[in-house]
Amino acid sequence: MQIIVTGTLLGGTYALIALGLTLQYGAARIMNLANGETLVAAGFVAFWLFTALGVNPLLGMVLIAPMALALNWLIYAWLLRPLVRRAKNRGMLEVDSILATFGLLFLFQGLMLLGFGGGYFSYKFLAEPFLILGEPYGLNRVVAFVAAVIVASLLYLFLYHTRQGTAVRAVAVDPASARLVAIDVARTAAFAFALGGALTACGGILLSTFYTFNASMGVIFTMKALIIVIMGGVGDVRGATLAALILGITETAVASLIDPGLTLAANYALFVLVLLFRPQGILGRASA
Amino acid sequence: MLEVSNLGVCYGRHTALQGVSLHVEKGEISVMLGANGAGKSSLLKAVAGIVPAEPGTEIRMNGRAISGLDAHLIVEQGIALVPEGRGVFGELTVEENLALGAFAKRARGSEKSTLGLVHELFPRLAERKRQQVRTMSGGEQQMVAIGRALMSRPDILMLDEPSLGLSPLLSKDLFKSLKRIAVSGFGILLVEQNAKLSLKIADRGYLIENGAITGEDTADNLRHNPAVINAYLGGHRGNA
Ligand SMILES: Nc1ncnc2c1ncn2[C@@H]1O[C@H](COP(=O)(O)OP(=O)(O)O)[C@@H](O)[C@H]1O
Ligand SMILES: [Mg+2]
Repeated sequence: MQIIVTGTLLGGTYALIALGLTLQYGAARIMNLANGETLVAAGFVAFWLFTALGVNPLLGMVLIAPMALALNWLIYAWLLRPLVRRAKNRGMLEVDSILATFGLLFLFQGLMLLGFGGGYFSYKFLAEPFLILGEPYGLNRVVAFVAAVIVASLLYLFLYHTRQGTAVRAVAVDPASARLVAIDVARTAAFAFALGGALTACGGILLSTFYTFNASMGVIFTMKALIIVIMGGVGDVRGATLAALILGITETAVASLIDPGLTLAANYALFVLVLLFRPQGILGRASA
Repeated sequence: MLEVSNLGVCYGRHTALQGVSLHVEKGEISVMLGANGAGKSSLLKAVAGIVPAEPGTEIRMNGRAISGLDAHLIVEQGIALVPEGRGVFGELTVEENLALGAFAKRARGSEKSTLGLVHELFPRLAERKRQQVRTMSGGEQQMVAIGRALMSRPDILMLDEPSLGLSPLLSKDLFKSLKRIAVSGFGILLVEQNAKLSLKIADRGYLIENGAITGEDTADNLRHNPAVINAYLGGHRGNA
């Protein structure tokens, strides 16, 4: 039971990170390997706001998310749009964007190492026990989970109950038809990429409230997000959320029942299982 | 309303259309008849901004030059395309497809009344609001495609072989609906293989061969034109 609760709490934050990646890949068709760097950068900003200015990380989120949105928009406009323009097909864009964001990963990682060094960072925010079913859990983890649920619900409302959000989904499933209903596909893709970056940043901020992080850790979270996205089915918001919870619970179970060193191995084992048995995603239907 | 003159389309070295001129008026159905590969789809795609037109092409909508505009901006000028293969969002519901149809700024103000019109034309769409479109029959998907296009409040509705893959009975229904759409004031440019049914509802028609317009006349005259009867009406007189 404790494992399930702890795993679910962790899975909430994972879900945000993965939703960011799945928006960027599903709608903007960019496989963003620098996604984890957005997460770590947001963690550092939250850390700095909290330790230097005493800003509550939840309030920090309100400041950092729009910054991440703007920054990711600029990255898309300057770096990725030229690739989108010259790509003759989806496969070519995928290869080009993987190479470009791979380069971006090292650039951002280098900048953060320069700014913060290679050491580990953490700060004490709401580090007190909170009882669920009589068992104590970190209040910061509970708050992070609740915040993640709120942000994910807002995303869901946006995607499924507004015209702009429906347009994002339309671009994800069929960009060629989207332009026939007056959707500016290029702009919508840029927006989806930026929104994805903002979501990942939110995940990074929440993670930083209970997790010790350092400048070179982004890659691990990109991998986790990738695993979640593929498990959930590319572009599938509900699938990604479910996959994130499964991953959180699996990691927690492996760490507490076997060995904490094996969590990454458990990630990959899960990933391989999904690829073998449900390559279309856990909720996905077999595609034609 | 829609005026096309000297339209040319090339795919690399291959010329698909050359010197094509035509016009479509409000409340009128114009049909474009031509064999496979004649260039019918290319014509609609060029007008819709999906394939680029050659230099020298002039396309005007309500007097405004629209050649070279991006596809999403052409919708805002009042031209909607129901493409070959329908182009519906199969993963989305009927309701979402229709709502997206009204994404154009020109359509938003009148969305409710247009939806009423679409539901009146295709009551099936009102019954199946929540259904995912890919689970519907071909005829129903075609209704979604046409309904979605109407939702953008076009002045001109262009359809690329809408009866393809439909049974004769469903095709008849479809053409009846198109007639009603024209009567409610929309202009229609229809590309069809089914010459018999389409000439029955059309006001005017064009003949297209090898990328060029080879004839233009009223639908009545075309139905009695021996060349048309030979080429498109199975060699014998359609029940005119
Ligand atoms: N994307 C394309 N690339 C190259 N050639 C094309 C392309 N689309 C159409 N064509 C060619 O252009 C000509 C006209 O095609 P199309 O407009 O589809 O005709 P229709 O709709 O009348 O069957 C054909 O010879 C076809 O092979
Ligand atoms: Mg065709």
